[in-house]
Amino acid sequence: MHDAAISIHGLEKYYGDFHALKNINLDVPDKQTLVICGPSGSGKSTLIRCVNGLESYHSGTLNVLGLPVGDDTKVMDQVRKRVGMVFQSFNLFPHLTILENCVLPQIRSLGRDRTAATTEAMDQLRKMQVDIHAEKYPDQLSGGQQQRVALARALALKPEIMLFDEPTSALDPEMISEVLDVMQDLARADMTIVCVTHEMGFAKAVADRVILMAQGEIVEEGTPDQIFSNPQHQITKDFMAVVNG
Amino acid sequence: MTTQALAPPPSATGPVAWLRKHFFATWYDTLFSVVFAILIYLALKAFIGWAFVDAIWRVENKDLCTHDAGACWAVIESRGRLILFGLYPYDEQWRSTLACLAVIATIALSCLPSFWSIRRLPILWVVGFTTFVLLMRGGFAGLDLVTSEQWGGLSLTIFIFSGVFVIGMPLAVLFALARRSSLPVIAKSFGFFIDIVRSLPLLTLLFAAAVVVPLLLPDGLQGNKLMRVVIAFSIFFAAYQAEIIRAGLQSTSQGQEEAAVALGMPYWSIVIDILLPQAFRNTLPSTINQAVITFKETSIVTIIGFFEVMASGNAAIGTGEWGNQYVEVYVFLALIYFVFVFGLSRYGAWLETRMRLGHA
Repeated sequence: MHDAAISIHGLEKYYGDFHALKNINLDVPDKQTLVICGPSGSGKSTLIRCVNGLESYHSGTLNVLGLPVGDDTKVMDQVRKRVGMVFQSFNLFPHLTILENCVLPQIRSLGRDRTAATTEAMDQLRKMQVDIHAEKYPDQLSGGQQQRVALARALALKPEIMLFDEPTSALDPEMISEVLDVMQDLARADMTIVCVTHEMGFAKAVADRVILMAQGEIVEEGTPDQIFSNPQHQITKDFMAVVNG
Repeated sequence: MTTQALAPPPSATGPVAWLRKHFFATWYDTLFSVVFAILIYLALKAFIGWAFVDAIWRVENKDLCTHDAGACWAVIESRGRLILFGLYPYDEQWRSTLACLAVIATIALSCLPSFWSIRRLPILWVVGFTTFVLLMRGGFAGLDLVTSEQWGGLSLTIFIFSGVFVIGMPLAVLFALARRSSLPVIAKSFGFFIDIVRSLPLLTLLFAAAVVVPLLLPDGLQGNKLMRVVIAFSIFFAAYQAEIIRAGLQSTSQGQEEAAVALGMPYWSIVIDILLPQAFRNTLPSTINQAVITFKETSIVTIIGFFEVMASGNAAIGTGEWGNQYVEVYVFLALIYFVFVFGLSRYGAWLETRMRLGHA
């Protein structure tokens, strides 16, 4: 059994000579919403991509839902079926309709039959308020709509953890809130969430915990209140000054 | 800056305005238009006069075929069956016709998007090819046995082309995936293999398949010559097509594969459902190009003794009787090639439009 949804100890990662992650220690309890922020190049995306094995790491331990993340493909299949991810650039499949984008992964990953997968997909699309676009193709939708489809696609697999890698960074300003709104609903519905974002409004509204990374290290962590109103570390103070304008 | 909207330009519609805009807009447009109109008129007049007005159509008027007369299409009436069927026995040529139609129907059906499934396409092709081989070869149910050495003409051309395409395309996908493999041994050796095949002339490969392979393999493994030639040709095709597919895979964004991995989809599904459809979409013009080149290159099998349509055409004018009518025969051959290649190009254009509209 596991007590933390994600448990990371002494994680190290290099790109060639570049030390991307330095001795990361982090536990994310079940149902927590964790926001990771920090200047670009600080390793936040690398860290979140290590969690579902999109990036490998060099040493340390990384357990997700009690499963050791690593090279074992059988274990990784299990991890990826139970951990959903939403990307900055949406990454919808452009040659498939919105509905098929949500149906196909259910069939291929979970072996659901098409009828059940379609019902589930339409359910999720309805919750994301994009069900009227089900028969369209991704490039016919706005960025905000595409990102909500990407969220529906991930949620249709009924994941226990959701990873968000800068989900609103590629969106026009007027579309950011429509994505943040559905993410907030998700957080309030007790989904375990790890979100890399610069949206401090989102962090203040729903985050249980905020960590700030810089140069591959976790510099500071605490509740949103602590981080935003009373930052301890100079890097955090500088970063808050920037993102708060 | 003025905020007032400009008045719309005076409406220019109707055939006169269209002509003026496209052909007579400036004085040099007018000059070119007139000169080319005259040239086109003269060329068409000469061609129509030769091909239709002054043409001699029937064999019984053969004596009228002189150098000054128009086209002597009597040669097609007399030798058409040789061109279309090669050395295939005269009384059995209906089988060759049916076999040819079976393969053409198979090609036509597999062009329809409703047949594009991993289950339907292979079934369609197995049925189509089996029909072809059974009809051509015979040797059962009272049909005379006709060995592949006697196959020829258009049905042989189409059989070789479609055989190369059907065997070569899966091979190409395999080569492309192997060359992208994360295991260096596999990636390097397939890269080396592709480069070697591409460095060799097609003719060398076909000669090797026809002549050298029988010396190396035991009798039981040799297969017949036509089979070996089709396989060698397929490998040649696959080496080129693999690089086209690899380009398509590389132009598909990294994020596509990552998203599919993150969704827990298995490798085969990521390749078949996500990467390959996009790779083929991205490289459709080059793929059609490769198909066209392959269709035309089938004529090279002549040299190792197969009477495909081009060789049969040469045989038709090889005898003294029709020796002067080579222009007519080549025009006829050109027309056959044109129908297939032009059809292929139009199909490619239709696919591109369809994909631009967003369909798979």
